Amino acid sequence: MSLVHKGRAITLVGLALLAVDYVRALAFTPIERLQGPAQKIFYLHVPAAIWTEAAMVLVGLAGIGYLFLRDPRLDRFAAASAEVGTVFAAIVLTTGPIWGKPIWGTWWTWDARLTSTLFLFFLYVGYLLLRGAVVDPGLRARYAAVLGICGMFLVPFIHMSVYLFRTLHPQPIILKPSAPSLPGSMLATWLFSLGVFSLLYIGFVTQRYALSLDPTVESERTAGHA
Amino acid sequence: MPDVPHNAGYMAAAYILTAVILLAYTISLYRRSDRR
Repeated sequence: MSLVHKGRAITLVGLALLAVDYVRALAFTPIERLQGPAQKIFYLHVPAAIWTEAAMVLVGLAGIGYLFLRDPRLDRFAAASAEVGTVFAAIVLTTGPIWGKPIWGTWWTWDARLTSTLFLFFLYVGYLLLRGAVVDPGLRARYAAVLGICGMFLVPFIHMSVYLFRTLHPQPIILKPSAPSLPGSMLATWLFSLGVFSLLYIGFVTQRYALSLDPTVESERTAGHA
Repeated sequence: MPDVPHNAGYMAAAYILTAVILLAYTISLYRRSDRR
């Protein structure tokens, strides 16, 4: 089984479980009394946000690894993780305002959490544009590694922004030092959703990584394992 | 629960949009790998 087929299989399992996640979240998880049905956006928005940030951290770590080891596999992984992170960032930046409108009364506000997340999205786009603009593979990997490391250092700031500044965005209710502040049924659905998004990240990155391999090398590698 | 806000439309929009984005990227990856 080639790498791209492994990635496709993982993605298909992830999408099937996403359908299960939708049914579980919409039909079998209680409606929050104050926010109403809109609160259920939480089960998509937060896992997507976690993987948006985690993907950039992995881009940065792969960048550090590349600068030390010069292993092109790390550069290929960073490129794959950045592209998938951009997709998840798009989900965060669209579901967020849709959730914000009925709860805050506005689609968008320039507070620290929202603005820094938007910057992260721009950084992802800049990272991908940089990779497309530099032809030399060695230079491209080095420049991209440096930008990825810069992006990685933005992530803790985004997470802490709700503590450091007065924002409309709520503080974490799960990823915080004390116990999660939500009922067990909601927490179970959220954890399932996080698992689904994790599977989708792995499936997408595997496929995207396989795309960046030389097709002849990939077919030889597959034949070697047949 | 008479005091629960009626905002299911926003929830539906977010769920549909997320599915569309994820499916579009899945199709994009399929097409790019098939072109190689």
